[in-house]
Amino acid sequence: MSFFGFGQSAEIEIILDGYDTRKTADIKSEDGKKERHLLYYDGETVSGKINVSLRKAGKLEHQGVKVEFIGQIELYYDRGNHHEFTSLVKELARAGELTHNTVYSFEFANVEKPFESYTGSNVRLRYFLRVTIVRRLSDIVKESELVVHTLSSYPDMNNPIKMEVGIEDCLHIEFEYNKSKYHLKDVIVGKIYFLLVRIKIKHMEIAIIKREITGSGPHTFTENETIAKYEIMDGAPVRGESIPIRVFLAGYDLAPTMRDINKKFSVKYYLNLVLMDEEDRRYFKQQEITLWRKGEKSRKSQSASPHMPSHLVSAETGFPQGVAPNGPPSGGSGPEAANSISGTEEIQAPIEGMTREEGDGEGEKETSPENN
Amino acid sequence: MMDWGWQFRSDSNVSLFFSQPMTPTMTGVEEQEKLLEDAVGVVKVQAFQMKHCLDKSRLMDALKHASTMLGELRTSLLSPKSYYELYMAITDELRHLELYLLDEFQKGRKVADLYELVQYAGNIVPRLYLLITVGLVYIKTNPCLKRDLLRDLVEMCRGVQHPLRGLFLRNYLLQCTRNVLPDVAEGVEQEGTVSTRERFPGMLLLQVRDSIDFVLMNFAEMNKLWVRMQHQGHSRDRERREREREELRILVGTNLVRLSQLETVTLDKYKKLVLPGILEQVVSCRDAIAQEYLMECIIQVFPDEFHLQTLNAFLKSCAELQNGVNVKNIIISLIDRLAAFSQRSDGVGGPGSPSQLQGIPTDVKLFDVFSDQVATIIQTRQDMPPEDIVSLQVALINLAHKCYPDRVDYIDKVLSTTVQIFQKLNIERLEYNSAVSRELSRLVKIPVDNYKNILTVLKLEHFAPLLEYFDYEGRKSLAVYIITNILDNETLIPAQEQVDAVLSMVSPLVQDQPDQPTIEEDPEDFAEEQGLLGRLIHHFKSETADQQYMILSAARKHFSTGGNKRIKYTLPPIVFQAYQLAFTYKSLKDQDDMWQKKCQKIFQFCHVTITALMKAELAELPLRLFLQGAIAIGEIRFDNFETVAYEFMSQAFSIYEDEISDSKAQLAAITLIIATFEQMSCFSEENAEPVRNQCALYASKLLKKPDQCRGVSTCSHIFWSGKSIATGGKEMQDGNKVLDCLKKGIRIASQCMDTSVQVQLFVELLNHYIYFYEKGNAALSVQILNQVIAKIREELPNLEVSEETEQIQKHLANTLEHLRNRMESPESEGPSYQGLVL
Repeated sequence: MSFFGFGQSAEIEIILDGYDTRKTADIKSEDGKKERHLLYYDGETVSGKINVSLRKAGKLEHQGVKVEFIGQIELYYDRGNHHEFTSLVKELARAGELTHNTVYSFEFANVEKPFESYTGSNVRLRYFLRVTIVRRLSDIVKESELVVHTLSSYPDMNNPIKMEVGIEDCLHIEFEYNKSKYHLKDVIVGKIYFLLVRIKIKHMEIAIIKREITGSGPHTFTENETIAKYEIMDGAPVRGESIPIRVFLAGYDLAPTMRDINKKFSVKYYLNLVLMDEEDRRYFKQQEITLWRKGEKSRKSQSASPHMPSHLVSAETGFPQGVAPNGPPSGGSGPEAANSISGTEEIQAPIEGMTREEGDGEGEKETSPENN
Repeated sequence: MMDWGWQFRSDSNVSLFFSQPMTPTMTGVEEQEKLLEDAVGVVKVQAFQMKHCLDKSRLMDALKHASTMLGELRTSLLSPKSYYELYMAITDELRHLELYLLDEFQKGRKVADLYELVQYAGNIVPRLYLLITVGLVYIKTNPCLKRDLLRDLVEMCRGVQHPLRGLFLRNYLLQCTRNVLPDVAEGVEQEGTVSTRERFPGMLLLQVRDSIDFVLMNFAEMNKLWVRMQHQGHSRDRERREREREELRILVGTNLVRLSQLETVTLDKYKKLVLPGILEQVVSCRDAIAQEYLMECIIQVFPDEFHLQTLNAFLKSCAELQNGVNVKNIIISLIDRLAAFSQRSDGVGGPGSPSQLQGIPTDVKLFDVFSDQVATIIQTRQDMPPEDIVSLQVALINLAHKCYPDRVDYIDKVLSTTVQIFQKLNIERLEYNSAVSRELSRLVKIPVDNYKNILTVLKLEHFAPLLEYFDYEGRKSLAVYIITNILDNETLIPAQEQVDAVLSMVSPLVQDQPDQPTIEEDPEDFAEEQGLLGRLIHHFKSETADQQYMILSAARKHFSTGGNKRIKYTLPPIVFQAYQLAFTYKSLKDQDDMWQKKCQKIFQFCHVTITALMKAELAELPLRLFLQGAIAIGEIRFDNFETVAYEFMSQAFSIYEDEISDSKAQLAAITLIIATFEQMSCFSEENAEPVRNQCALYASKLLKKPDQCRGVSTCSHIFWSGKSIATGGKEMQDGNKVLDCLKKGIRIASQCMDTSVQVQLFVELLNHYIYFYEKGNAALSVQILNQVIAKIREELPNLEVSEETEQIQKHLANTLEHLRNRMESPESEGPSYQGLVL
């Protein structure tokens, strides 16, 4: 660039193919603002044109013009080092002179984009195109962001999460989420079944927690962020009560679960079931769920009969239509169910401990699991 | 019970009528008002914004405001009353949203998205209110999803476990869905359903069954919440809590009303689905308040025809209710309803009329079912107080009577059951006016009242044994009741055994009881009771004379054990009945050869009876009875009548001699004897002579002079109008004897010291003279009359002025007036009054 007002300079413009038809997606920039960029998937060709327009009449001497496709991970605490996991280069022009405005076409065919674009609190994963006109003194550089979504196919295994947890002689519950892996527009359906209630519960909610883990070894940073809080019960249930859960994920800002991305970071999601008692003590149990992104097309074909929206819970099982119930927790509704629960002795599986937290706002303290 | 129908009819707009203001623990009345005011303030603002946004078609913003508004319902600070007001205010506003949405969706907006969208709301209470509101619109625009949506809504509402908030939320659900509940009978296709089926193959038709499931589920959940209120908070607030629950109960009951309003719920469905569902919940909730209310509710909201066919199930559940539940009231209420129903249906259509309402179907053994089930209930509920058990029997007996008026055996069965119950409970005596005693007397009065005929009551084998459980007071008052009933209904008791039975039943009046208190009764009350017994005797009446005799002797057997103070009331009627019977025999003499013997026997019977009265140291009464008997004998004239009559007369005399000592009583008695004898004509001269003389003798032997005078003058009549066989039934008219008597009377009167009395006696004597003179006694003359009058005139001025004197003067004046009249207009055959000096 021209700092001193002399010498030739040029404007670079990157126009991606299909910029007006291709889908776009939002992504947060580093400063938290939402930006909208074109959306690409893994294996898609990234192609376009690059306009180089000269500022003034006259020629522009250069050492060559190139375009790069870069995928990189930036750790905020380590600003100096960017970890590029993808870097492709295309030579657009050899060293020479530009005498007039020039248009270059480029194409990165079937380029591999293994990770999803992500902006977290400690880490950023981004893809961008960089055009560089190499010059002797200062290069002319232009970057253009793009957003990559990784699509997954339906998971082979998608067992429900079913668990009996509690605090001895205080609270025993059985909870069930219909799946362990949810796509981003999915609905979490489940139920909480109360086996023993000796505390005065005020309400119960489900929180979706995003956990971002960066670095490794001693330099590991963990950041928890509560994405959503969703009240699922008001008031104090009694033994035998079963409370339905239905959470629409589409309403929240979520990204797929990311595990050990390029050995730099992970993003995991947890469902946190929280019960609050009248003395503001919180009882909770976290359960990891896997989030994945579903392809648009397959989504359409998946939805059941147009007259039977998937968000309706079937009364018998508490599961959406078509999902096989994996054995609902101990019967269902009806008064006889309420009376037929014969204490906790029958329960064979060891009860996993829940976390109890005093209402003083201290951090979470995991209690050791109680094996009865 | 009346308020029921009324409350339920107005349920389309749930009306809760709260009593006095209630205060939650933490706030006073004023604070409540303040809280409510604040909340309503927020509601108004948000509602305004919501409507504003709706006008501008900014649905999302409108929903946000609606959600904020609904957030007010999350409060825990309001009392049920205040919460109700807030709820009403908010649901009122929600109606705007509903109407707007309905409008929008009819224009083609997609409802499914919205149904999802409202579920993003983070707080559950506003979320569910919105979900219900949108769900309703969804149902209206997509009827084929109705079943799933209804299920979804009722299921999702489980998320609110707070009793008050949950109750109102579910009430909102029930209110919203009341017009969309499918009410189509199975197999009946509505218009348009065919095309629906074509369009959505595999989609089941909505049936009333779905509605039943829906409401039953909502009901079960609401009831659980309602019951749970009982167990929350401090035990010291229990009273307040129970009051609040009472106020909220209609929210629960509305579910049952809704079920009862489903027109296609047939008896079969009620039997198989509705009732079992309700009962299961009622029994399993194990809460007395709820059980009592809901059972009552079932009885009131569902038709009687259904109850009739489901008695067993209903009553079985009654047996399983909590100890605190007043099962008695529930069952009684049901019985009363059914009894009323059977009466009503009988009344509507007469037999044979085409519109006849079938009353109790013949295949429903109403009584048997109740009887068995009540027995089970009594057996299973050991804590039931005996008075409640008896109340149940009262209800049963009412039922039996109203529905099966002809089945005496049913009534008896109830009585027998009651006896057994007492045996089992080891109850021997019921204290008067205790609760059990009161109930039992209600029980035994029912057959008495209903049959209005003691004879039917007597057919009840277990009636009398039941009476034995009362203590003396109780038995006595019942005896009075029974007798009064007989008298009021003029029941005649025609057989000896029945008389026996009745008298045993009323034995506390007939004779002393082993458990009788020693305290003397009020003599007036006693006389009244015994008077009733006396009247009762006149209802012992058989068609045949022989039977009547048996009755009387049976009755006497009972009464003779009654002791001296009773027999004076009870034996005289017997004697009179016996006399009457003798007359009956006489009238039957052509048919009964033995009548004379029988009459003699009757009079022997009377003799014995009267003698019993004598032994009770009564004098006047037996005297009168003997005299009455003598007259009767004289008239009937069976074999040997004279001897018997003479015996009766002589008995009267001996009573006079032995028992009557008071001078006044003596005068009265002798007057009576004389009068009786004067009437009789059955004696031969042999017997008549001594009687006459005896009369004259006794009259003259009276102690006081005035008595003597009056006695003698009265006696004069037997010499004139007395009859005997010798005179052939004609008056003997012995004028001289008459004159002797009257002269004797004058003589005695003259001996009186008191001139006033003397003059009085003279005037009376004058009257006697005049009487005989007029009758044509030849021994009398005008001269004698003049003498008497002169005598009176002579003495009269000497009297002091007093009331008595005035009376005497008046008497005299009247007498003279009579004479004057006779003189002026003499009767053609009468004696002449010539020479009479007035």
